Parts: sequence; C-alpha cells; structure tokens
Amino acid sequence: MKTPLAWLNLVHEKTRLVAAIAGVVFAVLLVFMNLGFMGALSLTASQIYEQMNADIFLYSPKTLEITTSEPFPIERIYQAAGIKGVKRVMPLYVGYVQWKNPETRVNRAMFSYGFNLNDPVFKLPELSDPETLRRLQQPDTVAFDRQSRPEFGPQDIGIQTELDRRSVEIVGQYSLGGGFAADGTVIMSDQNYRRYFDPRPLSTIDFGLIQIEEGVDPQQMVDMLDKILPEDVAVMTQAQLTERERVYWLTNTSIGFIFSLGVGVAVIVGVVIVYQVLYTDISNHMIEYSTLKAMGYGRWFLFGIVLQEALILAILGYIPGFALAMGLYDLTIKATAGTLPVGMTLQRAVFVLILTVMMCCLSGLVSVQKAVNADPAEVFS
Amino acid sequence: MPLPLRLPPRYTVLPWFNLTHDKRHLLTAIGGVAFAALLMFIFLGFKNALYDSQIQLLQRLNGDIVVINKIKENMFVPEQFARRRLYQAQAFDGVEDAYPIYIAVGNWKNPDSKKVIPLRVIAFNPDDPVLPLPGIVNQTDTLKLPWTTVIDGRSRSEVGPTEAGITTELMEQQINVVGNFSLGTDFAAGNGNIVMSDQNFIRYFARLGPEKDSRTLSTVDIGLLTVAPGSDVSGLVDVLRDRLPDDVAIFSKDEFALRERIYWEENTNIGFVFSLLTSMSFVVGIILVYQILYTDVADHWAEYATLKAIGYTNGHLLMIVIQEAMVLALIGFIPSVIVSYLLYDSAAEATGLLLQMTTERALNIFIATVIMCLVSGAIAVRKVLIADPADVFG
Repeated sequence: MKTPLAWLNLVHEKTRLVAAIAGVVFAVLLVFMNLGFMGALSLTASQIYEQMNADIFLYSPKTLEITTSEPFPIERIYQAAGIKGVKRVMPLYVGYVQWKNPETRVNRAMFSYGFNLNDPVFKLPELSDPETLRRLQQPDTVAFDRQSRPEFGPQDIGIQTELDRRSVEIVGQYSLGGGFAADGTVIMSDQNYRRYFDPRPLSTIDFGLIQIEEGVDPQQMVDMLDKILPEDVAVMTQAQLTERERVYWLTNTSIGFIFSLGVGVAVIVGVVIVYQVLYTDISNHMIEYSTLKAMGYGRWFLFGIVLQEALILAILGYIPGFALAMGLYDLTIKATAGTLPVGMTLQRAVFVLILTVMMCCLSGLVSVQKAVNADPAEVFS
Repeated sequence: MPLPLRLPPRYTVLPWFNLTHDKRHLLTAIGGVAFAALLMFIFLGFKNALYDSQIQLLQRLNGDIVVINKIKENMFVPEQFARRRLYQAQAFDGVEDAYPIYIAVGNWKNPDSKKVIPLRVIAFNPDDPVLPLPGIVNQTDTLKLPWTTVIDGRSRSEVGPTEAGITTELMEQQINVVGNFSLGTDFAAGNGNIVMSDQNFIRYFARLGPEKDSRTLSTVDIGLLTVAPGSDVSGLVDVLRDRLPDDVAIFSKDEFALRERIYWEENTNIGFVFSLLTSMSFVVGIILVYQILYTDVADHWAEYATLKAIGYTNGHLLMIVIQEAMVLALIGFIPSVIVSYLLYDSAAEATGLLLQMTTERALNIFIATVIMCLVSGAIAVRKVLIADPADVFG
C-alpha cells in the first residue's frame, strides 16, 4: 500500500497544522472580504440599472456615475421616440436632497429618484400597487427604501418629516439599495421632484430610459441613436452602462484602488504563511527526504509530496475561510443595514479557490528547492 | 557570528544565537514579521488616510471658531447661512476677525482630454488669510484679477495638467490657472480642489441659469472666526451659541474636525469596512509570527530539552523565546516602516489621499507588533514547557 507521505508529514505536528490552516484561512478570508467589498461596489451599480425597465439609456457625457449626473434636454428622448423600433421613452430625474431624521432631527443626504408614475421605470413590485401609486401622486409624498441606513430614521408608512425643509410623508416602501454612493434612497413622482428640487425644471432630465420593440437588436439601436442624436447625450445599453459605472468605481475612486491593493496583499500573506509552514516541514524532515533521495526516489517525487501538502493546506484552509467569509458577509450586511450588499457569487468562490491553490503551490515550489538540491551525502556527513 | 558586545564570561546570549544560527531562516523570519507589521500599516494607513483627508481642509483653515448652517451635518451637505451672522459674531468681545468661505462644486474641463469633471471650488477674499498655504498666500494679487484660480497640485490625474499658465474652462467659462498649491482629495472633493477669490466665485456661480440654485456672496458655506490672543475659545463658543440665532451651529475648529471624523467613522459604510480589515490584519500577523517562532522552537527542540535536563526552569525557556520574539519585533519593524513609507508615498500619488505616518501611529503599530510577537511567542513556547526531556531523547 502506498504511504500517504504528504498527509502524514502535515498531521505529524497537530498544533502547527492548525496554525498553518489558520494562516491560509485568514489569507482566504482577506481575499474574500476585499473582493466582496469590490463586488459590492459593482453590484450596487448594476443593481440600480437592472431594476430599471429599459434596454437603452441616454445620459449626459458629463455624467460620471449615477449620483453625479448632469442634466440634458428632455427633447432628446422625444427625438428617440420618433425612431422606428423604439417602444417607449421615459425620463428619470435623480439628485441628492437633505432628509431630516424625525427622531434625532439630524439631516442626511438622501438620493432621490423622480419620474412620471405612469411610466414603469422600476421593476419593483411595490410600485405596481395602485394604492401606493395613488398616494405617491399626492403632493409631498415619497416611497422609502428599506435598505437605507438607520441614521435616516424610522421607515414606516405614515411617518412625516422634512425633505429639504419641506414637509414630506412616507406613503410606500421598496427595496433597492444605493451602495457606496448613496446609503439611502427615496422614490417620488416627477411633480414632487419639481417641488423638492426647485428651481430645477422638468425639461432637463438626468437619464432617458428607452424600451425597444421585440426583435430589435439593442446594439444596432444604440448605434442608430448615437448617429441621430446630438453630441450632448451619450447612448448605451443597460449592460454597457452598468459596466461603465463599475469601471468608474473601481478605477476612478480611491476605494477601488484600496480594495485591489487589499487583494494583492492578502495573496502575498498567504504565500508567506504557506511558505513558512512548508519550509519548516522540509527543514525538519531533511534527513527523511535525503534518505528517500538516497534510496533512489527522484526529485519529482519530492516535488509531488510538497505539492500535495500545499494542496491539502489550500483545501483545508479554503473551506473554513469560505464559511467564515459567508459569516462576515452577513455581519457586514447587518452592520451596514443592508446598504452594502456583499454576497458570495459562484464566480468569486471558484476564483478564490483557484487563487488559493496557486498561492499554496507557489510557496510549495519555492520551499522545496532546499530538499531537491540537497546531496544526501552532505546531509548525513 | 562574533558578537560586538563584551559580555561577562559564561553568559551565552541564547536568543541571539538561536536567531542568527541559520541566516536564511533568520531572513525569512524577519521578512515575516516585517510583512505582518506592513499589513497593519497598509490597512490602518488607508483607514486613517480616508479620515485624515476628510478633515485636512478644516485643519488647514486659519481660524479658531467655525460657524456653519445648523443642518450642515458634514462637509457633504451643501447648505449655507446668512453672512450677517458673521457680522453679528464679529461684534463679540474676543472675536478679532470673521472670514466668509464659499464652497461649490464646479465643472472643470481637462485642457488635454476636454473631458469635464467636477472639482471643489473654495473661494474667499484673497486679503483674508483663510487658507495660508504656500501657493495661495503668494498669489494674493494675481487671484484678485478676474477669471483666475490656483489649482490643487494633488488633484487626481483626470483633472489634467496643473501648471500655472494653463487656460481652460470652469462652468463653461474661461479660467486661467495662475499657480498651484497642495491639499489633496477627500470624499466631498473626489477629484481635487481649486481656490479663487470671492469676486471670481460670483463670476462663475452667480448666473447659473433658471434650473440651478445660483450663488450670491450673502450666503456663506463656512464662517471662520479668529479670536484675540489669550481669549478663551471654548468660553467664546458657548457665548456665541447662546447669543446667535438658532439657524447656525458654532464649533471650535477641533470640535468641528472631530465631528466630521466621527461622522465618517460611525455613520458610513467606509468606516465599518476599514475597521474590519484592520482588525483582520492584526490576527493574520499573529498567525504569521507564530509560524516563525514555532519553527525556531521546533528546530532547537533537542537543545531546549537539554537545557531543561541540565536544570533550566520553564521561566528561563520562556524568557528565551520572549526575547527572540522581541528581537524579531524590533528588527522586523524597521524594514516595515521603510517599506510603508515608500508605499504611502506611491499610494498618495495614485489616489490624492493624505497618507500620513505620524510618530504616534508608527509607535502604535510598533506596540501592536510587539504584542503580536509576544502572543505568538507565548503560544509557540507552550510545547517546550510541557515537554519532558526524557521523551525528547527517548
């Protein structure tokens, strides 16, 4: 029977094995957390657009991301409406406005969406309720995002407070989330938007949402709109706009930079820890390895053992790391009141697994040099 | 390795010999400790950078007392108050001067790429010593000319070139850059800053068209009061709070900066994210150092057992490992400080954030490194303490 040398080498020293696994666990955890925060950045960006009922978006080329949008003339969507293949066009108004927490009386910047309530702008089921829509039509009313930070105060229907020093009543609720840029959102009718964002007129809009007929290719429609419309608007499909927003957050803000650095650092930590473990193991078993060599085992055999050890460490570290990351993701969502949607994706789980295996194998290969190059004669001399 | 110290005969510096016995091993160990410390430096550095950047503008302001609109809970909130409150404040005993500061976000055209991005515009009377930074104070006269500004040299690269002499557009009107200063970005000014005179401020922001809130000089974003030498600042703050109308809030400059910092630490997602990452880096450090010390103990297993057999107590052995841990902490800390210094520099360059290495922070991380090493040393030595020499040689 073959001796599972790699396994026996590892379990020989229980305490150190535990510490080694703990090291890998934390490296895995660090990678997961940084990737999770990075993912939350892009998820919140895509979440918002994916909740919108539109295939194509018009926006000003000066718009950096959704919360720093520049208005453009509403005529652009009317121009688009005249093109064959366009089913429906809808204006969307957005902006920050100060929300007063009715309990603490402290103001906080609230991100607001305004649109014509007859337009199905959002896919949110709560907004198709006729009673909510009827109440949102009334002056000085909003629907409140359940995923707003607790600092905004109670979210119950019927709560009255102030929005930009004007009375406001919550008449509905929905779940959307704003992410890093906005940690609280409200939805209001375009008429109320006009009231709260005075003096801004409704004739300039932040986003133009376009639905196309079935069977029309969105990309061809984007190209056509791009050609027909003046240069004060940019045209993109939903997927392109989501990607643009994601790229903005990851490359044009300090936060994106920090998290990418975090992932890199975590991987180095993993390499260093696993290297320490394997190197110690090899130093301790130098005599045994040399004996194996003297007996005629080839260098590939030694490589194989160390790689197996590395793989075992990778997998034993990955599993608890994964579980802990899930726990910390939950904790993060709770601690940020759902405004930071860190969640595990299959893609990330697989990516980190591969990264962990590569990290461990790399340290394995570095540490095995000593044993491979050793001359049995010297070791025993 | 000969030791440069003259030590009493029969005294062996065991911890030192243990560490230096295997050079390659020693290097790895120092590398490990340095890396653990570096990890803390990185995450703590970013955490502090985000907060420091937030308040650096406030700290550079040349005043003792800050007056703001009551509902301006943080620098993000674009709410102004009436300038006459500053005139009222000026009438109080002890208040020497009152300076109005106007802040707005303006669309800046990158002169190279022609892309428009938002910049924070800070405006005041150039004769008032509001922001005494080199590059601003020596441009007092040129700033008084129409359509001039000085730009923050630490703005993000998307802003474009920041040399004097550049002509570009702000709010779709021409603007001439006459110099630059050094401030840096924060959350409210993610791309950078420019400074101009109050007269130029109304040139750009007083006629914004019907769809936007136009600005006048009669509403102020931040009011800055300087007090006469020897006055009691906190007493004066209390008096002003009591006497001035309720539509303004009054803080000493330190209170104001602290309030801003607390807002970011406690009421935003960023604060949570970085506290989590910093505490994780400490745990990772302990594991890393434990690995190193454990390896050392395991390598000298027989020697430790021999020491025990010839009568050394557990206390002696503990001392040896603890001393090793301390030496590693000391030596490992030095390269980590140097590397973080370089890293801070390049990260500050890349992000425009203010990454500061203060003595206090370096000291805190040094203490954390020592604790890290001691904790891991204490765990690593456990096995030696319970070992029976007879077993080892058996």
